[in-house]
Amino acid sequence: MEKIDDKYDFSLYEYHNLLQQNILVSYKGPIDERIMNVIGDNIELVTNDGNDKAKSKIFKIFMELAQNVWLYSAESCNTASGRKIGMGTLVIGEFGDSYTFVTGNVVRNSDIEPVIEKCEIINSLDRDSLREYRREQRRLGGDKKNSGNIGLIQVALTAESPLDIELTPVSDDESFFSVAVKIKKSAE
Amino acid sequence: MMEDIHIEGVHEAYFTPTVNFEASTGRCEISGESYLEETSKFYARLIDWLKRYIANVKGPLSFDFKLSYFNTSSSKCLVDILDVLKNYQNAGGEITVNWYYDDSEEELEEVEDFILETGLDINKIPME
Repeated sequence: MEKIDDKYDFSLYEYHNLLQQNILVSYKGPIDERIMNVIGDNIELVTNDGNDKAKSKIFKIFMELAQNVWLYSAESCNTASGRKIGMGTLVIGEFGDSYTFVTGNVVRNSDIEPVIEKCEIINSLDRDSLREYRREQRRLGGDKKNSGNIGLIQVALTAESPLDIELTPVSDDESFFSVAVKIKKSAE
Repeated sequence: MMEDIHIEGVHEAYFTPTVNFEASTGRCEISGESYLEETSKFYARLIDWLKRYIANVKGPLSFDFKLSYFNTSSSKCLVDILDVLKNYQNAGGEITVNWYYDDSEEELEEVEDFILETGLDINKIPME
């Protein structure tokens, strides 16, 4: 078959095959409340091997991480009414006895440092200290940046696993930031 | 005579909880799911009602929380409500707070953290 364009050498079949390996849901594009609603309501359908608790955990984690992509992605588009919607990537994978939930988006290097520091604090704390940290942060009042931090604490507490973060430089000013967490299928 | 608050919960792009606040009995219930576009604005109306009830009616308050889901932004506002109730109790108000939680360790921890955070006695009741 002739290609539409010489530059268009993307094979959807290869992409599909790549996703066939353990991936239950994958999405790339703008994330706002409508997209969140569609994906959120369908999480239950694709996580059949997990118990109810695991499904509810994935849903809660999804809501916080997707919200962070929407609000904090450096890559965004604007609706007709001028509303900014963050772009990002979201994947739910299935590996053995657990699910992996990953979100990623482009960030400005100048903005991401405090977030990385927060993630490192979260990963260094045991469960009781993490709960104390959530109580403290909740008391700090409601600016946007801070509510994202509580989201990350909540994600770590819900997943009962550390935040697996990765920062890959994409230009002098920007990087791709991803957060992955594991959720046991037999969550209690 | 104070008005009641009745809000029917919806699960659309955003999730509005069901709210029933009754001025004649002091019975208040928030149930369902809470994920809102303007979280603070939504809860400010409820907090305003509570403050007026406390200032004018001065009656007992019996509060049932039956939320199956709330996001972290909502949790901040829930703490604000608990603070109002705690202050009323400190001032001699008669308060009962029941928190119905999904029967799991993690949700129980969350209620216990609300108790630690606000100093309010909350009855922890597993949801059916």
